[in-house]
Amino acid sequence: MRWIVYLPLLLPITAVPVARLAADHLAPRRVVGLLTALTSVLALCATISLGLLTVVGTAQLPGVPLPDHWSDPQVRASIPNVQVIGSLASAALTSALVCVSVVLWRRRRALAVLRAGVAAAGDTELTVLPIGPPTAFALPGRRPRIVVSASMLARLDADERRALLAHERAHLSGRHDRVLLVATLAMCAHPLLRPMRTAIGYALERCADEAAARVVGDRRVVARAVGKAALAGPVTPHGAMAATGGPVPRRVAALLAPTPADRWPTPWSRPGAATLVALGGAALSTWATWDAAIDLHAILLTADHML
Amino acid sequence: MTESRAGGPPARRGPGELESEILSLLWTSPTAMGAGAVQEQLSGELAYTTVVTILSRLHDKGVLQRTRSGRSYVYAPVYDEAGLAARRMRQVLDKEGDRQAVLARFVSDLSTDDEALLRRLLEEGGS
Repeated sequence: MRWIVYLPLLLPITAVPVARLAADHLAPRRVVGLLTALTSVLALCATISLGLLTVVGTAQLPGVPLPDHWSDPQVRASIPNVQVIGSLASAALTSALVCVSVVLWRRRRALAVLRAGVAAAGDTELTVLPIGPPTAFALPGRRPRIVVSASMLARLDADERRALLAHERAHLSGRHDRVLLVATLAMCAHPLLRPMRTAIGYALERCADEAAARVVGDRRVVARAVGKAALAGPVTPHGAMAATGGPVPRRVAALLAPTPADRWPTPWSRPGAATLVALGGAALSTWATWDAAIDLHAILLTADHML
Repeated sequence: MTESRAGGPPARRGPGELESEILSLLWTSPTAMGAGAVQEQLSGELAYTTVVTILSRLHDKGVLQRTRSGRSYVYAPVYDEAGLAARRMRQVLDKEGDRQAVLARFVSDLSTDDEALLRRLLEEGGS
């Protein structure tokens, strides 16, 4: 076991470059697929690794309901400083589980309130909010809905309203909320996966923008709709951190530029290299988790035979 | 969804989508509208009878109210139920944490730099 069990906890860092580069160089649909797969694998491996460390490290603590041989000196010897590492791992695992429950509970509660709200408004795909600031969002579920405030509709012309509706429909038909949920839960498992969640969120918006452009037949109409909608909302008095601006100007710029090519980048380009690094990281992480799990199993068997 | 239709005519729409489009049109109209006016304002060629059917269905669902105007009806959104729904939903929409747990909003908030950049982009290529 030794150091190999720590690899899955470090390897999420290999996904940081691809999280930064993919969105602006790849077709949004591919970005979503690639980043979601990478994020899931890295988060799963990191969680299993924490689990292994917790098992080995806490086996000898009083009150842990595990077989006696799990606290055998041989098992403990498989990891240096087993007690410290074990408590750290179990603390990390506990906080990840708390984070997952909070995310799921909040989602459930918010969805319940919003669904009750749209149900009260009537049985239509679109619910218009007559009061409140400009807003628009998709409400997923068995009966998917689109919620838009009247103040938002008032700022857009007929074509732009169609673009807005098509954008939200793309979120609903693609079940983008589930993808975003997976990314959020992964972030609970490992904080280094936060940039991946941000990148996936952005790529989902780009996907919906491009889908809306196919429906209305003009990418500039979607660009105008996104731009006008954002200008209708609040402006926070902080400068954008990236030189390219925040997500909204980037989306508008992408819609005004030619349609992105729908193919994978070449390995020697920067996004291609970043993709390879992340794929390598995910593969290594999988191997390390597998190896550490087999190792622990072997150690436990040996300890068992020696009793 | 995968076929490219850049520059082509607007796509054919399903009944649910037409309802949404007509509803969003009526919500932006300062006055109640008749079927003829709705048909005129919608992009794409919709039959007058289709528009009438959708308007009366929306009325049946309780989201549109209608008043007689001459020999036909004019339609306007029902504000009461929608307002009630909106007030219920505000609890969630006003809380940042709750909102992020479920929703990808159409647009995120802008920074002051974003605003300037966005205005320039729209001026250059949006029109």
